[in-house]
Amino acid sequence: MFNNYLSGSNEYLGRLYLIVLSLLSFGLITLYSISNDPTSLSSTFFRQIIFIIFSFFVFFVIQRMNVKTIHDNSTLIYLGSFFLCFIPFFLPPVENTFRWIDLGFFYIQPGEYLKCATIIVIAKYLSNHQLEVKENYIIIIPLAIAMLSAFIVLNQPDLGTAVIIFAPVLPMLLWAGVNTFTIFLLIAPLLTILAASNFMIFNIWAVIMFIIFMIFQGSLLRRIVLYFANIFTGLLFPLFWNDFLNGYQRQRFLDFLNPDLDPMGSSYHIIQSITAIGSGGLFGKGWGQGSQTQLKFLPVQESDFILSVIAEEFGFFGISIIMILFFMLIKTFLDLAFKVTDYFSSLVIIGLTSIMFSHIFVNSAMTIGLMPVKGLPTPFISAGGSFMLLCFIILSLVSILSKN
Amino acid sequence: MLKIDNKADIFHYRTLLFVLFVSICTLLSRYFFLQIIEHERYFSKSQVNSVKAQATYAPRGLILDRNGEVLVENYPTYILTVTPYQLDSKEEEFSIISDITNIPLENINQRYEKFYQGRFLPTIIAKNLTFSEISQIEERRLELSGFQYKRFDERFYRDALDDAHILGYLREIDRESLSSLDKSKFYRAGELVGWQGLEKQYENELRYSKGIEYIEVDTYGREISRINDNSVPAFPGNDLFITIDARLQEYSKSLLNDQKGVILVSNVDTGEILSMVSNPSYSMDIYRGETNEKEWKNLLSDSSKPIINRTISGLYPPGSSFKLITAFNLIENGLLDPEDNLMCDGSYTPPGSSRTFKCWKEDGHGLVDLNKAIAQSCNVYFYETVQLTNLKDWTKTAKIFGFNEETEIDLPNELIGQIPDKEFFIKTYGRWGWSERGMLLNLTLGQGDILVTPLQTLRYINHIASKGKKTAKLKLNLNKEVDFYHDIELSNQTWDRVFNGLFDVVNSDGGSGWRARQNSDIKLFGKTSTAENPHGDPHAWFNGFFELNNQKFSIVVLVENGGGGGAVASPIAGKIVSFITKNSVEIVSKVVQ
Repeated sequence: MFNNYLSGSNEYLGRLYLIVLSLLSFGLITLYSISNDPTSLSSTFFRQIIFIIFSFFVFFVIQRMNVKTIHDNSTLIYLGSFFLCFIPFFLPPVENTFRWIDLGFFYIQPGEYLKCATIIVIAKYLSNHQLEVKENYIIIIPLAIAMLSAFIVLNQPDLGTAVIIFAPVLPMLLWAGVNTFTIFLLIAPLLTILAASNFMIFNIWAVIMFIIFMIFQGSLLRRIVLYFANIFTGLLFPLFWNDFLNGYQRQRFLDFLNPDLDPMGSSYHIIQSITAIGSGGLFGKGWGQGSQTQLKFLPVQESDFILSVIAEEFGFFGISIIMILFFMLIKTFLDLAFKVTDYFSSLVIIGLTSIMFSHIFVNSAMTIGLMPVKGLPTPFISAGGSFMLLCFIILSLVSILSKN
Repeated sequence: MLKIDNKADIFHYRTLLFVLFVSICTLLSRYFFLQIIEHERYFSKSQVNSVKAQATYAPRGLILDRNGEVLVENYPTYILTVTPYQLDSKEEEFSIISDITNIPLENINQRYEKFYQGRFLPTIIAKNLTFSEISQIEERRLELSGFQYKRFDERFYRDALDDAHILGYLREIDRESLSSLDKSKFYRAGELVGWQGLEKQYENELRYSKGIEYIEVDTYGREISRINDNSVPAFPGNDLFITIDARLQEYSKSLLNDQKGVILVSNVDTGEILSMVSNPSYSMDIYRGETNEKEWKNLLSDSSKPIINRTISGLYPPGSSFKLITAFNLIENGLLDPEDNLMCDGSYTPPGSSRTFKCWKEDGHGLVDLNKAIAQSCNVYFYETVQLTNLKDWTKTAKIFGFNEETEIDLPNELIGQIPDKEFFIKTYGRWGWSERGMLLNLTLGQGDILVTPLQTLRYINHIASKGKKTAKLKLNLNKEVDFYHDIELSNQTWDRVFNGLFDVVNSDGGSGWRARQNSDIKLFGKTSTAENPHGDPHAWFNGFFELNNQKFSIVVLVENGGGGGAVASPIAGKIVSFITKNSVEIVSKVVQ
């Protein structure tokens, strides 16, 4: 079985392109359904076609690039993308944020490309053969780089992108062979804070954590200190949140993190989205027939809530196809990461895969009310130029990295 | 091959694949739960009742004159909308509507095309429905699926100020204009937006803020109940008080009769415009959005150009009032002694030229000093004296007084006119096709290639009346803060010389503006102009100012192709000054000190 992984990459790439084309077609069919006047040049549908053609062009440009060039210039690429993120601060704000650069025919969001650059520079660091991956200190530099990137994006402000920048770090560390317990220690405090909202869940989490701390090796004293540090974080956080911050401070903090929050209350959006999805049933209401969608009950339907449109008009059947396509997309990425002979390439692919996956997961989870509303689009389906371009850049990078 | 081989571990590969699998399964199981298990519940929810966000409206702000007299208000009408996807048979239903409302079927179809926003959004297809029409529609409800009527405020322009040029009008937003409007105001096709005049200038202040209400509707979009949580109320627009005095405006307009022209009156100290007449104006029908294509074409092709607001978009040669520009330029640069007398024998021949330039008075004015030259508007005096300066300095002086730039009046579509300079002449006549001396002879009379708007002339007069210090910017919004143009630094002596001349224009024997003279003790200063132009008889101008109750007022009268400034414009100006004097209580009272 493993011999397969060592054979040529073309078969995987072929599969990859087929999946992407299916997703693109699905997206266009859906956009056609929700555009008022699809044939007009200014419709979402038509603009999306233009974006895709432009992205194809960029895809082929990147195909000409050399992996070694990318590897050797990774620091330069990172610094370039980093400073690109400063440009919007000197331009007039777009929708009260400093995320976009207006190129006239469309907006680009430098934060999107900083995601890729961060991965490349971390991969270069981790693929250094002089590195002792078993030592815990090596997590410091990747985390510092990610934090630096997240910090600038957070000031734009763009919480969504900042979170996505962190997403690849853990999978990449895991892939590089960093101690699993160390990675656990990184996630544990976050999970503790989340669990602290509910007394029962917090107790269960305390027990699970206790078992994990028992299984892993290490000095007893260190493990006990870390365990209780976690527990106290969990106990103190609600206290801090509720007592040390006033209501308006909390609100201001949340508003700062989430400026696109709809003033009408995001629960209205979620309710409309869930109603649309649920009313779709097994086979959906048919193309162009979704009443929730077409009566515009469903908000931001061309980008953030496009999966809800698919679910309403094509039903569980349609959404299952999408989910299977997404699963195959990510799995093919993983296969390629495992199969490529070059370590740097492998790490970059893992990072890019994580970005792709976190977009898919966060967006789908939001439409079905598993996560708070956050303006993140779905790869290859949602309308929007900057993100479509990023998806094609990722695809093209994966393709040249795996051909190595 | 780069530095190092892939060290990926099958255990890590499987871990990540496991995480992927679990995540996708979690998502799919949630979709399964919603779409298969809970399907009935959500399906009926989407079918029977849906919560729909709907815009609510409030009245647009009123426009009132300086004395609080309402000029523009709203009146309620009914509009009829249709939601395309609910139509059973478009042709049949439209013809029923056509029968009831007596609107031709083609007009209904035309509107439907123009305002169509999508299958699921209501399109406004008829306006100004009467109550009886509404009841007939209600009677035939079953045949008319998809139609709804709604209360809708239309603008009503009272007779107190019948002036389209100042107030402007609203226009229905159609599919084409929608994209050019401010997105944050949530405009929709079929709504009204300020399209001209003050309605456009103060659109943001006058426009209501839209509210949102959430209503439960059934599958046919019919309202079942209202949900009050989360609804945002609509707020009316702000009222706009304008500086115009409606009575003065009406009176000034009546003085023009049917002649084309402009009358402007302003308070020099505050910049408030008390009267702003541009004649002819156009019919009130245009306000109500009922003007059809043909009437529009007639308006546009009318040779008297009623559509143009002459006060800010009409361009005219200023005539003799520009002689003052030469006077300012010369005295200030020490090139002219105002006491010096020159001989006017009725014509002037530049040195070394065979061409003769005539004074308007064929017999000549005899010995003329500056005072007399201004008072009697002697051409020869200025022909001779303008030779002492040069084109560059002269145009600079003209521009200091605000020509060739906007007055910054709060109305859209203001033009800046034209003060020709060296570049302009080279571009127009070629490098050798003109001479500076020759051009100055034209310019000093305010003739030739100079073009100004009447409002710029008003600003010019205000600069003079305030002796260049703290001249208030012209404005129409009464509550707009008083702002000032840049100061003009000229010596007191210069101002006094010119003032004397302007006083004599009206008050001395032989002054060209004697017909504007007041019987009361009001001191009126002024300058007449008779501006030759290629379109017929000369334009008659009178520009002046006077003091009343310690406040200064300025006045500009222009009668297009009216003839002589002294004979035609001066008497009108005189009457207006008398009117203001008699009614000073109302006009002066509102002034912000």
